[in-house]
Formats: sequence, structure tokens, C-alpha cells
Amino acid sequence: MKELTRRKRLRHFLIALFTVFIFVLPFFVSNNYYLSVLVVIGIHTTVVVGLCLLMGYAGQISLGHAAFYGLGAYTSGILTSTYNISPWLAILAGAMGTGIVAYIMGIPIFRLKEHYLALATLGLGLIIHVVFMEEVELTGGPSGLSKGIPYLAIGNIVFNTDFKYYFLVWTVALLAIILANNVVHSRIGRALRSIHGSEIAAQSLGVDTGKFKLQVFALSAVYASIAGSLYAHYITFISPSPFGLMTSIQFVVMAVVGGLSNIWGPILGVTGVTVLTEGLKSIVPQLIPQAGGEYEIVVFGLILVIIMIFLPEGLTSGVVRLYEEWRYRKERADETS
Amino acid sequence: MRLLEINNLTRSFGGVLAVNDVSFSVDKGQIIAIIGPNGAGKTTLFNLMTGIYPPTHGTIMFKGTEITGLTAYQIARLGIARTFQNLQIFNNMTVLENVMVGRHIKSKTGFLGAIFPVWPVQREEREIVEHSLDKLAMVGLTDQAMQPANSLPYGRQKMLEIARAIALEPELLLLDEPAAGLNSTETRELIDTIYNLRDQGVTILLVEHDMETVMEIADRLVVLNFGNKLAEGTPYEIQNNQEVITAYLGEEGSGC
Ligand SMILES: Nc1ncnc2c1ncn2[C@@H]1O[C@H](COP(=O)(O)OP(=O)(O)OP(=O)(O)O)[C@@H](O)[C@H]1O
Ligand SMILES: [Mg+2]
Repeated sequence: MKELTRRKRLRHFLIALFTVFIFVLPFFVSNNYYLSVLVVIGIHTTVVVGLCLLMGYAGQISLGHAAFYGLGAYTSGILTSTYNISPWLAILAGAMGTGIVAYIMGIPIFRLKEHYLALATLGLGLIIHVVFMEEVELTGGPSGLSKGIPYLAIGNIVFNTDFKYYFLVWTVALLAIILANNVVHSRIGRALRSIHGSEIAAQSLGVDTGKFKLQVFALSAVYASIAGSLYAHYITFISPSPFGLMTSIQFVVMAVVGGLSNIWGPILGVTGVTVLTEGLKSIVPQLIPQAGGEYEIVVFGLILVIIMIFLPEGLTSGVVRLYEEWRYRKERADETS
Repeated sequence: MRLLEINNLTRSFGGVLAVNDVSFSVDKGQIIAIIGPNGAGKTTLFNLMTGIYPPTHGTIMFKGTEITGLTAYQIARLGIARTFQNLQIFNNMTVLENVMVGRHIKSKTGFLGAIFPVWPVQREEREIVEHSLDKLAMVGLTDQAMQPANSLPYGRQKMLEIARAIALEPELLLLDEPAAGLNSTETRELIDTIYNLRDQGVTILLVEHDMETVMEIADRLVVLNFGNKLAEGTPYEIQNNQEVITAYLGEEGSGC
């Protein structure tokens, strides 16, 4: 079918264009702080791409993804610093281990739906976070791993600067996007979307909806885990605090802001939310000196409410819709004048 | 050949006996209509046959094997497809993609193939598209293939559900009120499609309120009333059955 091929070409063209943009961008960013923000955006994008597969395509929710992000970070951190295992092997081990944990924990959790599912994933996230806090022998407890985590390296290239790490992180993020895009436009992707569209109809067409929910949950956990490993090797120190409920909520907000069922949603959502929170970090202390970190939750709440009211499809599709409505109104105005 | 055999099927919801001790059987290649007033248990019967929920009592045999207690997706894989009284279109997909989901059990790409679409995966994808376009052509939706499914008018959406259901090449097709909400042209097209499918060897079980349509196309009818089987027979027998006439007249003919 011509139209199908045309749409596919367009998608591939946009991805290629974006890839070029990403790899040229750092040469024009001289400020190290901005580079580090771009690195974090790349890491978070990887998580959110996976989360969008789960939320936007399969229509399920997870309020515990920071825990999978943490499992990747801790597996990498512990295996490399305490046991001197190769960082790349550690990333692989983290991804596989996290995938398996998600799959097994998912079996009881995905018997639930909607609010109950949200609560159960939230609970799962909290439990894993408690393990990070309490398994002092293994994780160093609240104060974090005591030994330093090594930088990643390929041969002689050591990824020890923001500039170098940028390329590594964004290669992974782009791969995450491309592979997710492949999934979405496949038999599996349609099966996932059918669950979202009508679970009962999906089952009546022979889709084992339970199995697919577990698989996509595990896949999204693997995405989060790899991102977590990259985070650990970037910061070279980890403690439980970035892997709690707040981060899980942040991921969900990013996913929702960008738009759940569009491959460009995650990048837009992560960038938007990151720029906003970074901006607030510098402004809020000046305006309200006594404000603690809690204002973030208020901001996330506000963003979520505003998006849900005005752009329920998220920024990507929402902006397209607003544009079309505007054009339609303009055409009408032109006709009548 | 006996395709479907329903024995003493019962389903209660709380105190309500939605289906009560219903037995009948369906031979291959027939068009069977299930009729009855609102709330008679017709949709419940379909839900039991397709594994949406299990029966309280009774058994369902399909092609000589028992399917009672199987899940919905297992039953679909054995060759029973259905449409829904209250549309269950995948609103988040195009018309074509809706039908492509119907090819799910006839294709086998897994997660790994989906992530890395090597050549055999792409070939299978093309087969899925071609097959789905064939089904869309059967119901006259070729031109709308690339539209979002929810942009179709109601009547077209009902035809889309049929296209999606037959994409899995079922031996038994269950249609729950396919003519409801269709205008007379659309109803005509529907009837043609049903005949077409029957000629291709698909056995069809349909729930329908429109008596004219039912009497025209059904080989046999099963009449339900308050969950009980009231009568069974050819259109002629049913039209002249005193019990059936009473049940319908008791309603002043409303809603049927
Ligand atoms: N999931 C359910 N929970 C509780 N009661 C139900 C459920 N499904 C059906 N019922 C009840 O079972 C009875 C039969 O319902 P059913 O939908 O099968 O009727 P129907 O013959 O399809 O009616 P209609 O012509 O209105 O579609 C009704 O009294 C209905 O209220
Ligand atoms: Mg009904």
C-alpha cells in the first residue's frame, strides 16, 4: 500500500533528521551546565520512551518506574564498585535482572486495573526503595555506595566528560526511540494498542492480553534499568534518594506532558519538564527563601492538571490539534469575509 | 456436521438467571438467528460462548471438544470470532490497523521480531496488510483504510467490526445485532456480506431484533425469553408458534 510506505518513509526521515540534529547539537553548546542538562534529558528520555510503550500504547500505568531505574543503577554500581565486574556486563546483568523482576512482580500486579494497578505499582516502587535504604551491607543504605563507580569506557575512550557522555547517552536514547518505534508499528505494537482500545475485543481476536501487559511492563523496566545504569556511571555515586516516588511521578508527568502515544512525546515531555524544573530551581529560592524541595510536587501536580484540562493528548498531538483547529477557524473566517 | 453444541447452559448474575438451562446445536454452514425480547439473555449467551465469563452450569462443545472454561483468546484461536452489540472498535487505530489486529493469531512475530524487524518479519507484515485490505474490500471500506477508525459513521464502524472478526478466518462467526442502527441500504449490504460469508463456509450465529431481516436470512431460529429457550425451528415454524406469538404480543411488539 502506497500510503503505508509513504508514512513509514516519513517516520524514518524524521528520525534520521533528528539523529543528525542530536549529534550536531553539542558542538554548539559550550556551557558545561547545559551539556549536563542535555545528558540528563537523554537518560530520562530512555526511561520515558519505555513508560510510553506501557502507558500510551498498552494503556497501563506504572507509578513505580523509578525503582526499575534504581535497580539498573544499583546493579551497575554494586557489580562494578564492589565486585569489579566489567561495566558493560553489569549493565546487561541489570537490564536482564530488572526485566525478570518486573515480569515476576507483574504477574500478581497486572490482575488489577486502573487505580488499583496504579496503587500496586506505587507499592512495588516503595518496597524496592526500602530495599535500597535498608540493605546497608549491599547498598550502603541512605548514605549510598561508599566506593566510587567507574566511568564507562570503550577501548581507550573513557566517557568522563559531559561532552563525551552526551554521545553515549543519546546513542542509547535514539536506539530506544527507534526500537520502540519498530515495536509500535508491528504485530506486537498493534496487540498492545488493541488492549488500550478495547481489552475485551482484543481478547476476542485471540490476543493474550495478560501476557502482553507483562511483556511490555518488563520491556519498559529494561529501558528504565539501562537508563539507571547510565545514570550511575555518569554521576559515579548513587544513593536511594533519586529512585523514590517523586522520580516515578516525575517520569509519569513527563510521559503525559509529551503525549503518550507518539514517538516524539517522550523527548518533548522530558525536555519541557526538565527545563521547567531547572528553571524553578534557580528562581524559587530567590522568591521564597524558605521553600524546600517539596515545591516540585506542587509544580508537577499543576503541570499535570493544566495538561489534562487543555491538552489531554499531551503536547505533541495537542499542539497539532490546536494548530488544525486554528487553521480551520481561519479558513472559516476567510470564507465568510 | 455438528459444529457447536450447547448443553444445559446456565448463567446467573447475583439472583438474575440471565441464561437458564439452554440447549441447542448448530450445524456447519448454517445461518442461525437468536431472537428474544430485551434482556432475554442473547448477549449473555454470546459472552458465554466466547469465554468472556464462564457459565454457572452446562457445557459448550465446539467441533467435538469442550470449550467451557477456556479464556476468550483461547476460544478465538479455535476459530470463533464475534462482533459486539455496543461497538468495541479500537479508537486509537486506523481502520486498516483494526483489521490487522484480526490477523494476530494468523501471524507470529514476537517481541524480538518486533524490535528488530528482519526480512521475514517485514514479509509477514506485508501479508497481514494484504489480507486485511481484502477483508476491508469485502465490507466496502477500502477507501477509508487509512482513516482513524472513530472517524467512521456508526454503520460503517459496525461493518468494520465484521471485517476485523473475519480477518481471523473463523469457522463460527457470532454477530450481536449487526443490523441495529443501519439504514436500509446498509442493511442490504450487511445481508449480502452475511450470504457471502456463508458461501465461503463460515457458520453464522446472529442476534437480531429486525424480524424481517431475520426471517429472510436465517435457516433456523432459537427464541429466548427471560433466559429460557422458548422455541427453536425454521422461520415458518417460529412465525406460527403460539408461545412465541404470546411472548412477543405480551410486549405489544415493542422493542422488537
Ligand atoms: N455482567 C452482568 N452483570 C449483571 N447482570 C447482567 C450482566 N449481563 C447481563 N445481565 C443481565 O442478564 C439479563 C440478560 O442480559 P443480556 O444482555 O444477555 O440480554 P439481551 O438479550 O442481549 O438483551 P438486549 O436485547 O437488550 O441486548 C439482563 O437482565 C441483564 O440485566
Ligand atoms: Mg444484547
